[in-house]
Amino acid sequence: MFRVPFLVAIALVIAFGGGIWSTRVALDATVGFGAIKLGPWEAFPEAQTEKADPYAKSHRANAGRILYASAEGLSFTAQTDDSGQRLTGNCTYRLTGQTPTARFWTLFATAPNGLPPSANADLPVALNSRAVLRRPDGSLDISISQRARAGNWLAVSGAGPFRLTLTLLDTPAAGSSGLIDLAMPGIQRIGCGNV
Amino acid sequence: MFRRLLGNFFWLKILFAILTGLVGAALLHLVIVISLPQFSQRDAYTRILAEGENQRFYRLSEKPDRAGLLKDDPMVEMTVCAFDISEAPVRLTAPNGGVPFWSLGVYDSSSNEVFSINDRTSADGVVDVVVGTPAQLTVLRKSLPRGFAQTVLVETQQTEGYAALRSLTTHKSFGPLVSQFLDQATCAPFQWRSRSQF
Repeated sequence: MFRVPFLVAIALVIAFGGGIWSTRVALDATVGFGAIKLGPWEAFPEAQTEKADPYAKSHRANAGRILYASAEGLSFTAQTDDSGQRLTGNCTYRLTGQTPTARFWTLFATAPNGLPPSANADLPVALNSRAVLRRPDGSLDISISQRARAGNWLAVSGAGPFRLTLTLLDTPAAGSSGLIDLAMPGIQRIGCGNV
Repeated sequence: MFRRLLGNFFWLKILFAILTGLVGAALLHLVIVISLPQFSQRDAYTRILAEGENQRFYRLSEKPDRAGLLKDDPMVEMTVCAFDISEAPVRLTAPNGGVPFWSLGVYDSSSNEVFSINDRTSADGVVDVVVGTPAQLTVLRKSLPRGFAQTVLVETQQTEGYAALRSLTTHKSFGPLVSQFLDQATCAPFQWRSRSQF
């Protein structure tokens, strides 16, 4: 007797539940299409423009962040090391190599969905291109660890997973995606626990 | 005949209902994704409007403020300003106080980039940008007041939008300089008629 309302209810529950759930998942999972992927690093040079895809526009309307415009810079994020394993605070990592051409860059780590670290923290939770030591050939060698390391050290708080953000300021990489050969520094895991 | 056949297969009907639901879910997904930017109350422009009155810069801090805005980078200080140029163009200025880097992004109300500039691409490293509609800027260019030779004129069809000025604190000793630079930034309606008369 209640077969038809029952069938209608099934269809409606799946339509609304599935539609809203899938949208939330899609908007949380990615900033949109059109990413530049360089090893573990990912950036969205067109996310702030009119040319951004509907997912990117929807994501930025929901996240409410002020994105870098093309003359300002380009933000790369990495959630994994070079081998594809998630970055966690238990392990020690080494970031080596060159960044793409940029006038400045900044590097810091955040917990997933966490606030960026405070600039007034006692530990070096954020580095920039003027404040790091370089090898004779100008390349980088930065240790990323909870415990203090010699040389360039980026402090990570907490043992949980984290995300690295490397922001290039005033970089040609922001304007012409794909036209120039970009290379980002590699992230190698040195070891976990007490190393 | 067909109905009776279907009635005998109640599970088939449930499968059909599930399929209908999935198609509906896909449609709803697309509708939400495409229409979200129009009705979102959490986008950057709405949040900057919630900071307070238009046409003035608000510094962002490390913790989300009451409008829910925060600076994304511990080393990059930023200040934001919402403007409405339907009446008059807006002029964005800041003196060059010797900060290592600054950049200015101008966006429309749907957060699309309209214009961006940094200290190397500006004249003399001074922030001096006028944002206006094409009609306003045509009038302005006809009688350009003195001292506007280095002003960057930006045309946009969108009358509402916001600007974000960032500066980099490479070392803590630059902090006061960067703060002073950002606090001196102005975002004011540009009244050129009164000035161009003399």
